[in-house]
Amino acid sequence: MPPFTLGHFSQVCCQLLNHYFGEIVGQVGAYLLRRGHRPLFDIPCATGLSIAEVKKALAVMIQHNLVKFEASERNNNIAEYSIIHHNVYCLLRYPKYLYMIKRIYGTSEEILLEILLNLGQASASNVIFQSANRLKEANDDSEFSDPSALHKSFLKLAQDNFIIRCPKLADNANIQKVPTLEVEEKEKFTVPHLEIGPIAKLLKENATQLGEHGDSEVIWRVNHERFDVELRNVILVNAAARRVDATAGELYHLILKLWRECSNPDSPTTNALSFNVIKDAVRKNEGSSPVLLEHFEQYLRVLYEDTSSLIIRVGDAGGGQFVLNYSTVFENLACATLDSIVLERFGSKALRLFRLTRIQKFMEQDQMQNIAMIPAKEAKMFTYKLLEHNFLQIKELKKGTSNFAPVKSFILFHVDLPQVARTALEASYKGLFNAMVRQMHDLTDNKRLLDKHARLETLLETLRGEGLPEDELAYLSDSMTAAEKSLVARIHSMNDHLTLGQTQADDTILILESYLKFSSMT
Amino acid sequence: MASPVVIKKEKVDEPRPSPSADAGEGQTEAEIECRMIELMGEFPKGINDKILETDMPNVDKKVKVAILNRLLSQEKVNIFRAAVTKELFWCLKQQPTSKLKGVDSEEKIVMRIIEEAGNKGIWNRDIRTKSSLNQTTLNKILKALEGKKLIKSVSSVSAAKKKVYMLFNLQPDRSVTGGSWYSDNEFESELVDVLNQQCYRILQQKAEGAKQKPLEGPLIVRNASFLSSKEICQIISDLKIVKFNLTVEDIETILDTLVYDGKIEMSSTTDGYSDGQVKTYRTVEKILSSAGIVRIPCGVCPVIKMCGTVGAVQPKNCVYYDQWLD
Repeated sequence: MPPFTLGHFSQVCCQLLNHYFGEIVGQVGAYLLRRGHRPLFDIPCATGLSIAEVKKALAVMIQHNLVKFEASERNNNIAEYSIIHHNVYCLLRYPKYLYMIKRIYGTSEEILLEILLNLGQASASNVIFQSANRLKEANDDSEFSDPSALHKSFLKLAQDNFIIRCPKLADNANIQKVPTLEVEEKEKFTVPHLEIGPIAKLLKENATQLGEHGDSEVIWRVNHERFDVELRNVILVNAAARRVDATAGELYHLILKLWRECSNPDSPTTNALSFNVIKDAVRKNEGSSPVLLEHFEQYLRVLYEDTSSLIIRVGDAGGGQFVLNYSTVFENLACATLDSIVLERFGSKALRLFRLTRIQKFMEQDQMQNIAMIPAKEAKMFTYKLLEHNFLQIKELKKGTSNFAPVKSFILFHVDLPQVARTALEASYKGLFNAMVRQMHDLTDNKRLLDKHARLETLLETLRGEGLPEDELAYLSDSMTAAEKSLVARIHSMNDHLTLGQTQADDTILILESYLKFSSMT
Repeated sequence: MASPVVIKKEKVDEPRPSPSADAGEGQTEAEIECRMIELMGEFPKGINDKILETDMPNVDKKVKVAILNRLLSQEKVNIFRAAVTKELFWCLKQQPTSKLKGVDSEEKIVMRIIEEAGNKGIWNRDIRTKSSLNQTTLNKILKALEGKKLIKSVSSVSAAKKKVYMLFNLQPDRSVTGGSWYSDNEFESELVDVLNQQCYRILQQKAEGAKQKPLEGPLIVRNASFLSSKEICQIISDLKIVKFNLTVEDIETILDTLVYDGKIEMSSTTDGYSDGQVKTYRTVEKILSSAGIVRIPCGVCPVIKMCGTVGAVQPKNCVYYDQWLD
């Protein structure tokens, strides 16, 4: 395979595939990331794997919604496979999804989601069955065999659009060589009728497989877009809480929920909500604090008069109409992100110059140092440093039209926000990739030690369960020295540190990606 | 017996001497000059030909012109041309002419050019172009004038080596010395930083005070955390950090730098007392505490561009990661 270097985003995706699915899937995925749409027969030639292995790898990836296929343009009888980039990237966010679902709903929903994430695509009965099994193992409770509670949780998840139906075979699929898949809009979130009875029976019998069931044709998967919306909402609510106070965050959370219910998720602006609707919702919500109920209008007013455009007032009907314009609010968030990056990398004086140029649009060098009140030498140094790292851009305007004498030109500095955001996004992908590489390297370097430690731990657990006396256990555990144990502890803490760092880098990536997506929509 | 009364008839003087009676020769030139100077004193804005005509219609035009030219050469009067009517006006020169005694005409020209430049001063080369004098002659004249303490040179803040000349007793303009933030042509960055931090602390305290009463509602809390630029100026002046008087404009330039730092925001409101907009300020929290990416070493790495899977800079053996993970 020619050694084209993958872009940073694709490198991250490769790393994720390798980590979660293994080398073979990783190789196939890397090839498809490099080459785009490819039919089946190209992949073994290029990667050197056997065709059976490639087929299995593709099947796994399709099952997990990472690869899609469609008929090639040149020849309708051949299917071309391509990677769904966003879904591969979202592999990184699975822990966040589980945490969010647990926070919003509870443990049973979390288990359902975890099973669905593990299976990739599954029918509702299968998911419920497996979750019930998992709960049974965890609780060691053989009496728990009532899956109707899980059924209710499943319905809740579908209602709030966290899971979505997969497209099924189209009607004319048998005629074509390459089948097409489609799903109707209104059926995307409707759960078909399930028969809980057989499931309960199988659970009582401690079966491990579900077997035939009525709704095996209706397959579900995780709805990544909905989770993205939820992650964005978390950022927005935090911004509101920082800007005003925690009660304002509460109010904003409610308003976001109302907007989501009444607007189209793909549009850059939400539909308008009237004041009375918001008031009713606040009154009806049981969790509202008394402070919010008392000063509700004031909180709303402080939020929409704030300069961060968290709420925009557009009209007066019904006591006031309020919308959220995603592009303005994410522009503000992206600007805050870039400000933070400039501050940490270059210092507060450079931040002042950066913000000044961004707010005033076009500035000359002298104006910048006068308004920012920074000594001339330092101002020049920081300006050129920012220019070198592409945070500032230059525009030259020529003054005068003489043909003979050299023409004096104005040199103006400005901030081209989409360009700077794209640069920062690429740097974030690179940082994320580096963190992952470092984590993988640490784990593989010390693999032998970690394996030994893991084996020892499981051995101790089983022996303890069987009732072996403590001094024998102590003797066994001494087979690893204290230094080795502390090293293992250190490796684990480094691992956690790196995982946390990756999550934080993902936050920045979400904000910058959202800004670029919404600004290109308008 | 009545003897006839004889009344002596004597020649009676005319009650007012008619103008025709005193011709040009009767009035001396000195008297005409005095009269002109009196008129110019009565009309400080200047007299023109019409006024002279009504006052002394019999005086010959040639005589008037000669007297006026003499006064001009003695530097007692100035001649101007009105902008609209293009008439000539003469008016008394304000400054006493005694100062310029003892200088010759070349020096006079140079003095006039420097005077016209007012308190902004004028550069050496500009004097040369205006007076079209030789470089060496000009330097000699400037040295002589400086020695006589009639002019002085002030170094401009914009170009450190450039010197501008102005009259001795004038205060240099702000654009030359740079204003309150420059002392000895050096930008006082420490003073600016100190004032910056002080203003921010004042606004922070106001916001803290406002937050103490959350029960009144967030609107009251927010409005109570605003301070106008005048009030801030007053507080800073009371603290007596700076030796000179701080104006409201000075404080506003400092507050603008805080706005550009992202720490405070400004809003213009109309004040009930004065006309026009009043600028008020309050502290704001940033909407994002810090970008996630800066919390890992790669976000602030100075050699990120050289980092890769092969080579000297790799994540596997990165020193910044080693430090961070310890």
